[in-house]
Amino acid sequence: LGVALASTAAATPFADSATGVGTVLGNTMSASTTKARPQDPAWEKAKHTPTGQMYQLPFAMPKAEDIKKLASGWEYSGQVEVGFVGGDVDERNAQFRMYQDPDNGAYVNNFSLQMKKPAGGYFVELTGGGAGQHDQYYGLQFGRYNDWKVKLYFSETPHVFTDRYRTLWSGLGTGTLTLLPGLTPGGTASTAVDNASVASVIANTPLTTLSLVRKRSGVRLDADLSKTWKGYVSYALEKRQGARPFGAVWGNNPGNTPMEVAEPVDYSTHDVLAGVSHVSGQNAFNFRVSASIFQNHISTLTFEEPYRIANVAGVTTVPAAGAFTQGRMDLAPSNQAYNARAEYTRAMPDFYRSYLTAVVSFGRWRQDDSLIPYTSIPGIALANVTLLPGGGWDTTGSLSRQTTGASVDTRLLDLTYSINPSSDLNLKAKARYYETDNNTDPFLAVNPNAVYTDADATTAGNQTRGLTYEGLTGVWGRLLNDGSGQSVLLGANANPAGNVAIRSSPFGNKQFKFGPSADYRLNKISTANLSIDREINARENRERDRTWEDRAKLGYVNRGLKNSSLRVSYEYGQRRGSDYNSTYYDENFSSALFPIPTAAGTNVTSWAVRGNNGMRAIDLADRDQHVVNVRLDTMLRTNLDAGLSLQGREAEYPNTTYGLTGHSQRSANIDLNYQPSPKQTIYAFYSYQLGRLRQHSISSQGGAAVTIGAVTPLGTITPANAIEIGQAPGGPIFPLLNAWTVRSTDRNHLAGFGLKQELGKGAILNVDYSYSIGRTRIGYTYNVGGAINAANAVFAGDRMPDLATDVGFLDASLSIPLTPRISARLFYRYQKESIRDWHYRNLAATPIVPGANAAALPNVLMLDAGPDDYRVNWYGVTVQLKL
Amino acid sequence: NSPKAAPAPVDHGGATYVGEAVCIACHATQNNQFMHTAHANAFRLNPKNEAQKVSCESCHGPGSNHLKDPISPSNRGSLVGFTKEWGTPIEKQNAMCLTCHQGEQRMFWPGSAHATQNLACSDCHNPMAKLSETGLLKKATINETCYTCHQQQRAEFAKRSHMPLPEGKMSCVDCHNPHGSTTKPALKADSVNELCYNCHTEKRGPFLWEHAPVRENCLTCHNAHGSNHDKLLTVARPFSCQQCHGNPGHQTTFFNAGQSVGGGAGVNSRVLGRSCQTCHSQVHGSNHPAGARFQR
Repeated sequence: LGVALASTAAATPFADSATGVGTVLGNTMSASTTKARPQDPAWEKAKHTPTGQMYQLPFAMPKAEDIKKLASGWEYSGQVEVGFVGGDVDERNAQFRMYQDPDNGAYVNNFSLQMKKPAGGYFVELTGGGAGQHDQYYGLQFGRYNDWKVKLYFSETPHVFTDRYRTLWSGLGTGTLTLLPGLTPGGTASTAVDNASVASVIANTPLTTLSLVRKRSGVRLDADLSKTWKGYVSYALEKRQGARPFGAVWGNNPGNTPMEVAEPVDYSTHDVLAGVSHVSGQNAFNFRVSASIFQNHISTLTFEEPYRIANVAGVTTVPAAGAFTQGRMDLAPSNQAYNARAEYTRAMPDFYRSYLTAVVSFGRWRQDDSLIPYTSIPGIALANVTLLPGGGWDTTGSLSRQTTGASVDTRLLDLTYSINPSSDLNLKAKARYYETDNNTDPFLAVNPNAVYTDADATTAGNQTRGLTYEGLTGVWGRLLNDGSGQSVLLGANANPAGNVAIRSSPFGNKQFKFGPSADYRLNKISTANLSIDREINARENRERDRTWEDRAKLGYVNRGLKNSSLRVSYEYGQRRGSDYNSTYYDENFSSALFPIPTAAGTNVTSWAVRGNNGMRAIDLADRDQHVVNVRLDTMLRTNLDAGLSLQGREAEYPNTTYGLTGHSQRSANIDLNYQPSPKQTIYAFYSYQLGRLRQHSISSQGGAAVTIGAVTPLGTITPANAIEIGQAPGGPIFPLLNAWTVRSTDRNHLAGFGLKQELGKGAILNVDYSYSIGRTRIGYTYNVGGAINAANAVFAGDRMPDLATDVGFLDASLSIPLTPRISARLFYRYQKESIRDWHYRNLAATPIVPGANAAALPNVLMLDAGPDDYRVNWYGVTVQLKL
Repeated sequence: NSPKAAPAPVDHGGATYVGEAVCIACHATQNNQFMHTAHANAFRLNPKNEAQKVSCESCHGPGSNHLKDPISPSNRGSLVGFTKEWGTPIEKQNAMCLTCHQGEQRMFWPGSAHATQNLACSDCHNPMAKLSETGLLKKATINETCYTCHQQQRAEFAKRSHMPLPEGKMSCVDCHNPHGSTTKPALKADSVNELCYNCHTEKRGPFLWEHAPVRENCLTCHNAHGSNHDKLLTVARPFSCQQCHGNPGHQTTFFNAGQSVGGGAGVNSRVLGRSCQTCHSQVHGSNHPAGARFQR
């Protein structure tokens, strides 16, 4: 019984299959614990599911006479499994500890208590495991069978991001990162000295782990309110605390001296869920309301920086050298989400056994955090700009509004009507409308309390004025990176000065999907199904107003093949859309403030510089897609079954010249299961996956001009065609010689086998092994002298080094009954992972990637050395005691 | 019955109920397992109606015709069985289950992907034995049950970056309702993003500066189950970002093996570590007034 009840740790869903997350309580040991359970010796022959898969032989369960009874009428059983874990399990490798947290020493693997009072049908169930570890879990259920129940639970999930972070700061996990001793906020007069100081701190500071722990606790009540009504209400609190790798950059776009800082995580999420359901006669009805309140207890991250960041062009006189002592990030804002949902089904058995299902759902996401100023550095001044009282860039007076004021409404209407014109034919019509309506006003990047002091486009002499756009007047653009850079329109003199972003785009979309489907019984054993639908997406503020995708899917199911079931389907989808407007976002940039110049010889790059107009965004591009699925389940013998599945997905983007032009995913899988007796179970499986992806682009020609009157391969540039030619492949900015192509190929193998063998006298050996191989090869083509020069081509070659990951897992367990109430379990686990990732090539030894020379700011500070190999042998000795 | 019809009353051929004592007289082995199930506890300790009181026959139907010839395969039609060996039509099996289990999370079962595949309730559930803690599944856990058909997903969860299913901290049913929903992949939310926001609430926003594909669909950049790449990305950075970003400047730079440390002459920070996100660290959206490029 004790061994049997150990399975309580395996899975205790705390949300149902329709509502909520947190459906299991368990950890890395749960599967092993479950598989150590003995089978029911009386159940000698495995039956098969209607598809033909063998049912797992049932576990040995206590007979009625073996269950203890109290005078109060309560029956109870329970067990606890405790012991010691040893070996290399203290390994801190991030890959090893990503979602598990075993450690050397005493270990409470799991415990459970089950109580039942037959008189009245009351029950209590308690379960838990991993006590004291960051993957621990606990659950308590009590109630009355078939009437009501209360569930309480707590579960922790660790997430380790890296164990090789070289910190330059104290205060990790807080909103303030203070440079360690030896480093100077804002740097010194000598970058060479700063580089040496950073190197010294890195060399003398232990590696740090960046991780967070997700702690979720909750309570849920389910109750039958009447014979036809049920209700539930739940509350969950999830806390996430820790830190994760993050990044910050300085200066103008594209920026310089990027460095990996650590983002603090201190989140709370409150989830409230309540609903009722009704089933009566031909009617079924569900109603649910939910609220999710997310709180970030650290709203900003202020971090000192160890280098001397110089003013960039346009940032004048102040701040003085060394004034950029710190930066400030605005972290994920607290937000709220609400939803109400109603579902109704009406069956009409007397009218061709038809039914109607209708769903309506309304939701809102809100976020209204107070905005912070552009910078925390005081006294920043810009060329040709005078700040009015209250307009300092380090004050919120420089903002066009004080809070985010963002909200998105979601709306769903889903209808299905099903009818059976004959006993062999079922027809359905489905229609779905889903909308995310973004009600957020665009944010205007303008300092309303600042004016220009240069000459404007219309009046001689210097003026004191702002520029007006969308009803706001002021100085347009924004400081970058705490004022160490700027993207501000530095004058009212009709020059948009390149890509100055002045306006945000709130995004939303409306999805309408509709179509019929039919299922037809071909004979007693097989059916065919056909579905056709069209999905229309209308988007707010995207390059393409509308896309529509037509899909047709044909399926065949045969359950009557000799000892087998076959399922085959093929789907074709074709997505097209309205005109693709590559210049859609022009209204968000400073070129929208001025008409394009017309004078011959004028460089109008600022108006024509947006992007390659041959590129198509992935989610908007025309697409032709084929999807094939084949599945065969067969009973090779009464105690041996096999499952074979094949999947193929091929997508081409026929009208995309640049960007993602095609991808495919193929997989083949086979499973074998052999259950000759309750004393022996053997399984094996293998999966192969091949994923391919192809994309194209053109490296832009740095400093290229789009000059009115210039002759190009695409024609003579005029004010009317300047933007088109400027953005066109083959134009002055995107010469075809600079074109390049990348092909990425993922190959994965996963093989596994397992054995469960009863050795006699109740001893059980269980072995599970799996090995996973992942390889990604990224190859490319380019023109020497185009995308890169001949010297760099020597190093570039024709591909990146392969991304390679190998993961091995072995779990072996021997359970030995010592007495009727006590059993011992010995387990051994071997886990290994080797990983090769060119992103982190040589970064362990070279966290400071140097700039041009020792006196220059570094190229980048890569403080995370990345993932590393591990090989862990660990074992445990536990004793299972039953009550 | 047509394959995807709403459940119809099951015809038992005029059979009558004999009571579970009669069943157990021959099926004691089955009863030793069944007595531990939620069904048994509900039927025996707190039945809500006459149908539940008859226990075994609540699901298998009245047994009198079965007793007339309990051995002969030709008489299997006298009871509803839930195995391939027994051969009861799927529609009849499911109709028996749905007599009690209509509505609630099964509201969308007719027309669902699993129903279209002619799956029986007993293809995933084993009502006769407590193999799983709840749900009376055919395997010990939700994930093992799903993997028996969804082997491709099992392989994805074994990749370098994955959701924590192999570690026992998540299940397929955290995201999917196997009984069907209003979405094609049977999601437990109205959209992919609404589903992801259940756990990734900090990415819900809405933000002052938004990233278009983030607002519409997380799966534009991420795989849902697992990936060979960091953060479940569909392709390695910086190439993932360059699938959409063709702007002049470094967005269109041809990144290559010569730009990693020790790779060649032109080390580029965008090829290292977190790549584009070293600078554009707020890629899911920024609430900083200067965050148009997601750098603060």
